[in-house]
Amino acid sequence: MVETRPDVAWLEVHTENYMGGGAPLAYLEAIRGRYPLSLHGTGLSLGSAGGLDALHLERIRRTVERIEPALLSEHLSWSVSGGRYLADLLPLPMTEEALDVVCRHVDQAQTYLRRRILIENPSTYLRYRHSTIPEWEFLAALAARCGCGILCDVNNIFVSASNHGWNPLTYLAGLPPAAVGEIHLAGHSVRQIDGRTLRIDDHGSRVIAEVWTLYEVALSRLGPVPTLIEWDVNVPPIDVLLDEAAKAASKLAAHAREVAANADAA
Amino acid sequence: MPTLLETERMMYASVVGRDAEAAASQIIEDGIAPLARLGIHRNNFLGALTAVLRQSFPAVHRLVGAAFFDHAATLFIETLPPNSAYLNEYGADFPAFLERLPQAAALAYLGDVAQLEWAVNAAFHAPDAEPLDLSRLAALSPDEHARVAFVPHPSLQIVHANHPVEEIWRAVLAADDAAMAVIDPGPAPEWLLVQRTDWDVGVERVGEDEAEFLAILCAGRSLQEALQRVPGLEASAALSGHLGAGRFVDFTLIEHGEARRLAQAPR
Repeated sequence: MVETRPDVAWLEVHTENYMGGGAPLAYLEAIRGRYPLSLHGTGLSLGSAGGLDALHLERIRRTVERIEPALLSEHLSWSVSGGRYLADLLPLPMTEEALDVVCRHVDQAQTYLRRRILIENPSTYLRYRHSTIPEWEFLAALAARCGCGILCDVNNIFVSASNHGWNPLTYLAGLPPAAVGEIHLAGHSVRQIDGRTLRIDDHGSRVIAEVWTLYEVALSRLGPVPTLIEWDVNVPPIDVLLDEAAKAASKLAAHAREVAANADAA
Repeated sequence: MPTLLETERMMYASVVGRDAEAAASQIIEDGIAPLARLGIHRNNFLGALTAVLRQSFPAVHRLVGAAFFDHAATLFIETLPPNSAYLNEYGADFPAFLERLPQAAALAYLGDVAQLEWAVNAAFHAPDAEPLDLSRLAALSPDEHARVAFVPHPSLQIVHANHPVEEIWRAVLAADDAAMAVIDPGPAPEWLLVQRTDWDVGVERVGEDEAEFLAILCAGRSLQEALQRVPGLEASAALSGHLGAGRFVDFTLIEHGEARRLAQAPR
């Protein structure tokens, strides 16, 4: 990226991979001199009933201070229980209690980091019996109560909607457009379990056609939101990744032209 | 209706403890058994953390093979899940865990190799720090020199092994079977300095006295104490070597009484 400087608008990395020094941080800082960066965290565990890890929050703060990212995001999930980190984005029960906990932690994080964060909708593979709030309503309430943004992962909407029999268009329509500050696209894998299809978010392949179609719907609903291709497993040659990014950029540009044409017509 | 805390504890037991019954009772089946749904998260947990260990311990992985490594990693991960989401720090206890693992006892030097790999990993990810500006030392009086207590570079590690682990480690990583064939892996004490210089981690073999001298300094003891406790060492050469290699980043001056008290402390 530093030497060939491909034509992409911006890049995103996992915050947790750059909390030390040495070569990783030096490369990231070299890239930072050429591209805007987004820091995408996987370890803050906003949904932990036991509270946030103060040291982890401080490590995020130091990384943010050093990198000065354009966007900062985390997930609607939990990963820590009893002080132990499970290295996975685990699903939350969609309850009023969980909404209160996540709100409290988003407030705490935004106050400590002195900036707005975006919260990403998860891919999920199970639902709890005691959930009472649709996930899109949970996210909309979170954004309204905390003033945080939403990172709309279109692939995750497709995956979760397919796994749980939701209508992805209902999900998209439930998100407050003004709050959505970033879009994610990614590939996922498909598994057959007990004769049923379960889609698993793994960031290991190209975005499928249905998700590209849903992305076009998302653009028309949410506007021209900065869009990232996530691909961090089975990482392909850079040209393949750049091709996916170019595809998203061309859809974004086509959407912008359409909006301009409609404005002219009006 | 379980609280959030109860829900997370049930999920934890399912993911880490192989005890999925309670969590499964809270999950909607919808055509796929709750245990199968929970299994996805257990696989994510073990898969992600095994990959972290594989990346930090590549020579151990080659020495024991993928199947045994994954087995040992699973036992370790279940026993000691990470206590932080900063996973570059996960695995510090893996060398000691391997040494206690009965199935690994046949490979006597395995724990030493793991210990060296952990030091290399820690040095690679350590925070950045500028080496000590030597002109600050030159400005001290002789009396102050004796009271100097150094702050080591964050990447600096001293490894004490009981086998010729540096040779073994290099041969295994290079997949150099010819080199491995001529190494006598029998017990033989070895002291190694591991340090990151710029972006590369270096491993250097040193004598016992030099390692001890440096270990005393790295513990924040005074230069005077280090000189007294390792009398046999060519101290000025050793010190200038450490300073030249950027092994210290700062120093403080210990008060006289403190320096004497520390110097008289039993070894």
